[in-house]
Amino acid sequence: STGQALAQEYVLRLNHVHTPAEAYHQGFQKWADRVFERTKGGLKIEVFHSAQLGVEEDIIEQIRMGANVGQNTDAARLGNYVPEIAVLNGPYLVKSFDEAFKLAELPVVQGWIDKLATQHGLKVVCFDFSQGLRHVFTNQPVRNPQDLSGLRIRTPPAPIWQEATRALGAAPTAMAFGEIYPGLQQRAIDGAEVTYANIRPNNLQEVVSHVSETGHILLLNFEVVSTTWFETLPPEFQTALVEECRVAGQETTKVLQAQAETEKAALIEAGMTVVDNVNLEAFRAASEQAYKALNLTDVRDALYKELGR
Amino acid sequence: MLLVAIVFAIFLVIGMPVAFAIGISGMMFFLQHPELPISIPLQITVSTTQNFSLLAVPLFIVAGNLMNRSGITEGLLNLASVLTGRLRGGLAQISIVLSALMGGVSGSAIADAAMQSRMLGQQMIDRGMTKGFAAGVLSFSSLLTPIIPPGIGMILFGTIGSVSIGRLFAGGILPALLLGVAMSLSVWITATKRGYPPERSTRPTAKETITAFRGGIWAILFPVILLVGLRAGIFTPSEIGAVAVLYAVFIGFLIYKRMKVSDFIEALESSLGDVGSVMFLISLSAIFGYGIVFERLPELVASGLGTLTDNVQVVMVLIVLLTIVAGLFVDATVLIIMMTPIVLPVVTRLGGDPVHFGIIFVIAATLGNFTPPVGAAMYTVCSILNVSIKDYIKEGWPLLLAISIVTILLIFVPSIVLYIPNLIFG
Amino acid sequence: MKAFYRSLTRLEAILAGFFLIAMICMVLLGGVARMASMPLNWTIDLSTGFFAWAVFLCADIAWRNNTLMSLDLFTERLPSTTRRVLDKINLGIIAVFLCYGVWYGVTLAWASRARSFNGIPGVSYSWVTSSIAVGCTLMLITTLIKFKDARLEHAPPTASVS
Ligand code: NA
Ligand code: NA
Repeated sequence: STGQALAQEYVLRLNHVHTPAEAYHQGFQKWADRVFERTKGGLKIEVFHSAQLGVEEDIIEQIRMGANVGQNTDAARLGNYVPEIAVLNGPYLVKSFDEAFKLAELPVVQGWIDKLATQHGLKVVCFDFSQGLRHVFTNQPVRNPQDLSGLRIRTPPAPIWQEATRALGAAPTAMAFGEIYPGLQQRAIDGAEVTYANIRPNNLQEVVSHVSETGHILLLNFEVVSTTWFETLPPEFQTALVEECRVAGQETTKVLQAQAETEKAALIEAGMTVVDNVNLEAFRAASEQAYKALNLTDVRDALYKELGR
Repeated sequence: MLLVAIVFAIFLVIGMPVAFAIGISGMMFFLQHPELPISIPLQITVSTTQNFSLLAVPLFIVAGNLMNRSGITEGLLNLASVLTGRLRGGLAQISIVLSALMGGVSGSAIADAAMQSRMLGQQMIDRGMTKGFAAGVLSFSSLLTPIIPPGIGMILFGTIGSVSIGRLFAGGILPALLLGVAMSLSVWITATKRGYPPERSTRPTAKETITAFRGGIWAILFPVILLVGLRAGIFTPSEIGAVAVLYAVFIGFLIYKRMKVSDFIEALESSLGDVGSVMFLISLSAIFGYGIVFERLPELVASGLGTLTDNVQVVMVLIVLLTIVAGLFVDATVLIIMMTPIVLPVVTRLGGDPVHFGIIFVIAATLGNFTPPVGAAMYTVCSILNVSIKDYIKEGWPLLLAISIVTILLIFVPSIVLYIPNLIFG
Repeated sequence: MKAFYRSLTRLEAILAGFFLIAMICMVLLGGVARMASMPLNWTIDLSTGFFAWAVFLCADIAWRNNTLMSLDLFTERLPSTTRRVLDKINLGIIAVFLCYGVWYGVTLAWASRARSFNGIPGVSYSWVTSSIAVGCTLMLITTLIKFKDARLEHAPPTASVS
């Protein structure tokens, strides 16, 4: 039966919003190459950058209908289907990358993942791709939550994100990623909360002068495919897809961690001011409000219990 | 994709409305790919309407209709008549200048073309210009809007290719000026050859000039106020259409005091048909482009380009040609996203400057909006003015020629593009 | 029946006009609120939501008023009988496409019910997707009326058809 399965070719079209110059694209490409090699060409992943295949939410719907497409997404969006999972996108949730990688093994998280797969047709292949810590990029220093007061900070349009930014003291402003540059240039917004690696590929250093290292969210991304499609794959293909996803994800995360340092140096070189004496305790305390506003406090505490905190 | 193209051609020949022809032929791709859910075409169509930057299109259509009834258009026309005086085809020249001014505030060629078709289109025809000529001018001149900063095409190219957006913005200024001059010359030649009557036969008196300026001041102030509002961060480029509507209402009701509620309702009613014919076509076009993205056609062709020659200018010419051919069927935004990562490294490897290439590439990609069989700006102007595509092509080609000449000049004289960026950024 | 249809088209125009104005108001409100450093993020979602409805209602208005562009390059040279046959073929194909639009539009709206409308938790994206199902239904009615009218036009045996 294996021979026959191998004779059939499987194709997965993976969509993501990053540009081809960003580490994620290269990471997905590596995942694709290794799966291709390991399945001897039986499973081919075609990577589409810059959301060429369509809007993230649309692709997720297509996945639910059983299409052979994949999407790089986040816990905030998956929270549409299993609300508890949004907590993984919460502010100051984990203390380190090691803690973040442990999340996948927690029974409570496994429960949410299973629910996504069985009830909503969304199979999470892995969530080891992490863009790292997000900081606040503005044109003035931010040390305390009060410094953010009245500042319009561009935030992805998802409730958990909006509440997180609000809790930290800012006025969250929903805007498409591509509008950040003109928005900042023309002062329609006062800042954005993104990672170091997001800055130069999008030329944002041309329009912001300060980075305040709030590190308020450690962004985890989820690689999602259709449960129906996943189940048509021969078991060894399934294993290859999942295992190589985890390996490529953790590698990419490390690349981005290192890149954050080099990018930071390059930005300082380009004249950006780094504010590193941020009052993290004050921000952490303020972030409580985000969990309260979305009724996720209990969910988070259950998670912490399993993490042994 | 071949099937899609064939079916599309047949539908056009049998006279099916283009919007349906695009949508239904685009469906053929999904019938060939049973692994794709058949509801995707509808999903894409709805998603197109969720694009905040496309929102500018209906807003500028409403704004154009309101300007006609608020007295702003009339003020503009009087002023134009004094300013262009004995110049033949003066109103066509005004359309070019207005597109350049609008370029400072809006990045959307389609929105600009839609608004001006309503404001100037009928007036141009009334002054003896043929419908095809009027449509050609209104459509092609809106190319200036995305080339003059800010423009979404530049931002996309800069983001995907990691090229400085500030430099790209600065690089667009001289080429846009040159394009404007070339189009203006082309219009002047046609107008003189055809003997289009000048706006007036005598030199305007000082008194006439003052009156015209006083009446037209609100029309001139319009792009200026939008520009100030944009630079001051009061609104963003995608919100600008709504401000234009507000401006027309404000001037019509409170300054000129000639607009009545019934005028407002009439303007809105005539906008409904315009919005329907323009936006329905644009949202269905996304179905058509899907298969091209899915099968990565331009990428496949473009990746072979670098192997043909080592001359960077020749490579740029080839890329421009390929872009224009792909642009016959695909929207400019999609083209820039797909092709930038493939073609930019080819150019830089051969020693080309990314800003220089970026401007040329964005111009070529945007041209797709103006060329049949799929071109949003073209269909926008033609459906608002009720002009046939045949007449549009017959009369629009001199402008296309003017644009092509400038583009070739830009390819071979990079300093035209790079002069201002080097001046500002060193 | 005719009176009912007339009031339906009237309602359609009023709704479409309302959506256009509401879109403009939402965009302006969003800009003003952001300027006052109190950004209201639901204004973008509401305006694009209204946008979808405006587009598909206006599409039916344009279709009914025959303002959807077509290329007359080839058909204008044909004899009017041939043209009429082609018109009917066109209307037939379009009707089939619109049936697809109605059926899968409803399916899509059903499928997207869990998807929240970004800035507004608790509001389903189905409010947006259902616009295409409604738009296609209205356009299907328009197409069928056009088909019927084409037959009536054809009926009187005036001999002047060359
Ligand atoms: Na123009
Ligand atoms: Na512009």
